[in-house]
Amino acid sequence: MKNALCRLVVLAAATAVLAGVAAAATTSVTITNPSAGQKISSKRTPYLAVAGSVSFAPATPGSTTFYLRRDGCGTSNDNPHLSVTTGTDAGDGCGLIVDAIGPAGDVDQSAFIDFPASDGMPLALDGTRAVDGQISLTGAQVGLAEVDVTLAALVNGQAVTIGSGTGSAVLDPTGASTPVPFTIDANPTLDGSDLQALDLRVHIHGPNVYSGFISLNGSSWVDLPSYAASVNKSVSVSLDDPSFANAVPARVSGSTWSVAIPTPAVGSHTLYARSTQGYDTSAAASRTFTVTK
Amino acid sequence: MNRRTMRLVGMLATLLAFGLGAASGGSAAGSPAHWPIYMPDAQHVGSPALQPPPVCCVPVAPPPAGAPAPVNMAYFGGHVQVTPKIYLVFWGWGQPGAFDHTTPGMPADDPDGAAARMTAFVKAMGGTAWAGVSTQYYETVNGQNIFIQNPANVFGGVWYDDTNPIHDNVTGLELAQEAQRAVAHFGVTDLANSQFVIAQPQKFNEAGFNSGAGYCAWHDYTQPSTYPGVEPGISFTNMPYVLNSGASCGENSVNTGYFAGRLDGFTIVMGHEIEETITDPGAEDVINGQNLGGWYDYTGYENGDKCAWVGYTDGLTAPSTVPGGLNDITGNDGQTYPVQSLWSNQSAAGAGWCAGAGDDLPVTG
Repeated sequence: MKNALCRLVVLAAATAVLAGVAAAATTSVTITNPSAGQKISSKRTPYLAVAGSVSFAPATPGSTTFYLRRDGCGTSNDNPHLSVTTGTDAGDGCGLIVDAIGPAGDVDQSAFIDFPASDGMPLALDGTRAVDGQISLTGAQVGLAEVDVTLAALVNGQAVTIGSGTGSAVLDPTGASTPVPFTIDANPTLDGSDLQALDLRVHIHGPNVYSGFISLNGSSWVDLPSYAASVNKSVSVSLDDPSFANAVPARVSGSTWSVAIPTPAVGSHTLYARSTQGYDTSAAASRTFTVTK
Repeated sequence: MNRRTMRLVGMLATLLAFGLGAASGGSAAGSPAHWPIYMPDAQHVGSPALQPPPVCCVPVAPPPAGAPAPVNMAYFGGHVQVTPKIYLVFWGWGQPGAFDHTTPGMPADDPDGAAARMTAFVKAMGGTAWAGVSTQYYETVNGQNIFIQNPANVFGGVWYDDTNPIHDNVTGLELAQEAQRAVAHFGVTDLANSQFVIAQPQKFNEAGFNSGAGYCAWHDYTQPSTYPGVEPGISFTNMPYVLNSGASCGENSVNTGYFAGRLDGFTIVMGHEIEETITDPGAEDVINGQNLGGWYDYTGYENGDKCAWVGYTDGLTAPSTVPGGLNDITGNDGQTYPVQSLWSNQSAAGAGWCAGAGDDLPVTG
C-alpha cells in the first residue's frame, strides 16, 4: 500500500474508534461539554468543566448457578470443574470416595476435591445473601454424610475466601442418590466484588459407611448470589492522551458525569473519556477543542 | 506390568533422563560429564538421574572447624555473586498460544498472575533474612575472602520477550541463547554478578520438564563446551511453568487455599534456583581442570538442593512445623512469599541446617 493511502486507512480507522460517541458491550460514554470545536478563553476560564453522559448495564440482584462437572473418569484430564451450563458428564460415577465408621465415629481421609470455574467469570458477587447448594452422593451408603464446602475466589489478583459451610444428610441406601444441601454465609466485605475466578472445594466425611462418588449430571450445584453486572462503575478523563496514562476520575451521578480540569495551554486539544464497569471498559469517546488567550 | 518389567522401564527412564541431561548441556572430551543442576520435584527427590555431577575436585578450603565435612558445604574456588542482580525474562508469554485460558482483569500474557508474582518476589527478596543466609559464603580473590552481600535491591530488570519466537520443547541450548539475548537486551556487562531467569509460559516449556523427567527447574553456566556458540560466563535458570506440574512443583505446598497456594511453586522453585546461582554461579563446572564451582557439598548438593521440599507432606500438615520446612517469608514490600529454606553452614552451632524460611531450629509454636 502506498504511504498516502495507508495513512488514509489508518486515519479512517482512528476516526471510527474515536468518534464523539463510542460504545462497548455493557457500558458506553459520551462527552457533551466542551462541545466539538469549542473555543475556550484561558483568561476567562481557568478551569474547564467537562461533562457527558454514561450508560451502564443494570446491576440487578440475581443469582448464578454453577454445576459440578467432570470430563472424564480415570483419565489424565478428568478436569473436575464448575460450569454455568449442565449436561451429561463423562466423569459421572468417578472420584470414588470410600469412607467408614471410625472409632470416634468419623473417618476423615483429609481428601478434598477442587472444582474451579471454567466459565461464568467475571461475576459480581452479592455478599449480602447466603450461598446455597447441594452435593448429591451416590453409591453404597449408610449413615450420616457431612460435606464441608469452601468457596474461594480471585479478586484483583488476590486470593479471597467467600465462605465455608457444612451440610449433612442421612444417606439413603435405597435411593439413587442422597442430596446434601449446604449453605454458606458469604463474607459481607466482599459484597460487590468482581470475581475473576472461583473454586468450590468439597470434602466429604462423617460417621458413615460409604463407597460412592459425587453425583453429577446437574444434581450437584452451587447457587451464588450475584448482580447481573458489576456495581463498580467509573468514568475517567484524559487530556491529549488516548492511553489514559494520567487519567482523572470523574464524578458519576446517574447517567451523567462531570469533572473540572485546569484549562490547558493555548492551542488545540483533544479530550478523551471512557467508562468502566467491573472488568469491562468502554471504547474511548473524544472531543477536540481550542484554548485561546 | 509385572515387577521385572516395571524395573526395566524404570531403568530405561533413568537412562533416558541421564541422556536428556547430558543433551541439555553436552560435554567436552577431557572434561567431567556435564549437566545442569536440577531441582527434582517433590516426587523425585533422590532420583539418580537428577543428582548433581560427581564432585571432581578437592575444595579450596575445608568446611569451618567442627563442621562435619560430608554435611556442610565447602568452597570449591569459583566465583560467587557478591552483589547479585537478577534479570527476569518472560520468553514468549505474549506469543499466540502461550496460554490456553484467560482470566478477567488479568493480562492476557499472564492470566494466572505468575509473572507478576515472580517479579514481585525478586523485587522483594533483597535484604530479607532468607536471602541473608547466603552472606556467610564468599569467594576468595588474591587470598582475601569477599562475602556475598544482601542488598535491598537485587532486581535487575524484566523483559517480556515476544520478539524472539519460542516453541514448545525448547532445548537447554535455546534457553542459553535466550539468556545471551537478555544480556544484550539489558546491556549487562557484569556477568559475574548477574543471573538470568528464563521463565516459560504455560504451553511452551523446556523439553525435559515436559517429558516428565521429574524436575521443576535447573540452573547452569554457559561454556563453549556445553553451550556452543553462546557467550561464555552467563548464569541462567531454566524456569518452566511449574504450575503445569501441580503439587509436584509446589502448588499449594505452603498455602492451602486453592487460589492462595496456586502460585506457591513459582517462588519456591525460582527462589531455590536464584540462591543456588548466587552461591554457585559456575554450576559446578570444571573446565580444563579448573573448578568454576562455588559452594556445595561433597555430593554436589548446593544450598537449595540440600533443603528442597523439607517438610513437604502433600498438604496433610503444614510443612513449617518441621525445622527448615517450606514456609512463607515476608518480603521487603511487606507481602508474603512461600519459599524453601537454604542450607546454612552456621546453623545448629556449625553443624549446618536449613534456615531462613522463618522456621529455623528450634521451631516453636
